[in-house]
Amino acid sequence: MKVVDILSSRRLQLGVLSIAAVFLVYMWITNQPDNNPALLPPISDIVASFFTNLNSGNLLSALGASLFRITMGFFIGTTLALIVGCMVGWYKTIEYLVDPLIEAVRPIPPLAYIPIIIIWFGIDEFSRVLIITIACFMVCVVNVIAGMKNVPQVYVDAASTMGASRFQVFRTVAIPAATPFIITGYRIALGAAWTTLVASELLAAQNGLGFLLQEGRRYFATDQVMMVIVIIGGCAFIMDRIFRRIQAYLMQWSEARE
Amino acid sequence: MPEIKVNDLTHTFGKGSPNALTVLEGIDLTFETGSFNTIIGTSGCGKSTLLKMMAGLFDPSDGEMTLDGTVIKGTDRRRGMVFQQDAVFPWMTVAKNISYGPRLRGASKSDQREIETKWAKMVGLTGFEDRWPRELSGGMRKRVDIGRVYANDPDVLLMDEPFGALDAQTKERMQSDLLETWSTTKKTVVFVTHDIEEAIFLSDNIIVLSSRPGRVHHIEKVTLPRPRSNEMRLTEEFLEIKRRLWGMLDH
Ligand SMILES: Nc1ncnc2c1ncn2[C@@H]1O[C@H](COP(=O)(O)OP(=O)(O)OP(=O)(O)O)[C@@H](O)[C@H]1O
Ligand SMILES: [Mg+2]
Repeated sequence: MKVVDILSSRRLQLGVLSIAAVFLVYMWITNQPDNNPALLPPISDIVASFFTNLNSGNLLSALGASLFRITMGFFIGTTLALIVGCMVGWYKTIEYLVDPLIEAVRPIPPLAYIPIIIIWFGIDEFSRVLIITIACFMVCVVNVIAGMKNVPQVYVDAASTMGASRFQVFRTVAIPAATPFIITGYRIALGAAWTTLVASELLAAQNGLGFLLQEGRRYFATDQVMMVIVIIGGCAFIMDRIFRRIQAYLMQWSEARE
Repeated sequence: MPEIKVNDLTHTFGKGSPNALTVLEGIDLTFETGSFNTIIGTSGCGKSTLLKMMAGLFDPSDGEMTLDGTVIKGTDRRRGMVFQQDAVFPWMTVAKNISYGPRLRGASKSDQREIETKWAKMVGLTGFEDRWPRELSGGMRKRVDIGRVYANDPDVLLMDEPFGALDAQTKERMQSDLLETWSTTKKTVVFVTHDIEEAIFLSDNIIVLSSRPGRVHHIEKVTLPRPRSNEMRLTEEFLEIKRRLWGMLDH
């Protein structure tokens, strides 16, 4: 326990150090007399922009809209991925049926669907959530399938010689054995959700963080752009942390614990 | 009554393909009800393959096996198996591993507790019930494996080198414990080992397989009296059998 404590605190120190270094370098550059604040706004401007947008309510409504889309898309996409992935990974018939389809569609970047989705469903909330859903589904399902296929045979054999039915083996062996893969899939899906969220909002939205970015660009408010970037980074970071907690809890049994 | 018969069994991996490999050929064996049988043979001669087929994990390419006259097809909890590899579920505590089989059949909480306590004690893991398998040594995990199969109460015990990873002392203790458990339950046991001494100490019958393709080379009836004690390992009769078997396994 001691060693872990020291290690994690050292980790924290170094992490803070590297962030502080970037911060200082940025401050130093923006303090140079020949710096153009329209390209690299000083930190004070970025903070000011944060408070302006906070007070006007723009920031919170944008954050709310984006978090709603992310949550919906992520939740629906990964849930579908879990169901489809388990079926494909566990039942040979379904695998032969569905796997070629997934393999064919997988390399297509989810953003490529944006035009066709806009044509079909218009520029509305449904379309944006749909794009995130597709992105989350695609990256997650591959991991779920891989997890199911990597269940060590000896565990399956052990369970079935003890009288487990095929479904019991699935529930008591395959799912837990595949958990590391599944969680990884969820984490990658979270990253994909942010990417597609911002992209879909840049193209077609009247609110959301991506829209704030776009607005900042249009009015040349670089401080606003920078501010939104930091907010997105912060949100994604916090979500990933929460995920790691969940992962650590579900994976107590595993040797590899981060 | 759990009597197993193996009738003219041949197994070829990848039958029909260019790299087909016949591992077992023309095996005829009878494992009588309540007998302790050990299979020995050089590495790769097909011992694990034979055991897995008896467990019903896959079918032989020719011939068949019967349990009490019924052809073995598919797995069944009546035929429990301890695998050569580590098969303890890492995502369950020691106790949950042990009560896995009964839980499959919906055992009540109190029954589970009872089974967990009983078999943890039997395999010497009292006090470790709530540990994760990763916190145990290799030998301790093997004992979880064995306890789990015992706790599932099969009629036939198939054991594939269960004590291979244990030190000499633990091994001897586990052998004695196994004989004790076996003598009270009278399950039919088919045991695989590389260790000739272990085979003699435990068995009624020792089946010597020849190298690939595995055939029944010799069947040794061990008539040492039961219950067996560790002192018997040094008797002339014991050593005599040991010498004979040693000569058969082409070293
Ligand atoms: N699933 C499989 N597919 C193809 N060949 C296999 C398979 N399983 C085992 N074999 C081959 O069959 C032969 C016998 O394997 P088996 O595991 O039964 O040997 P064994 O007698 O148990 O050996 P050991 O004492 O080393 O455990 C080996 O040559 C192995 O390569
Ligand atoms: Mg083997």
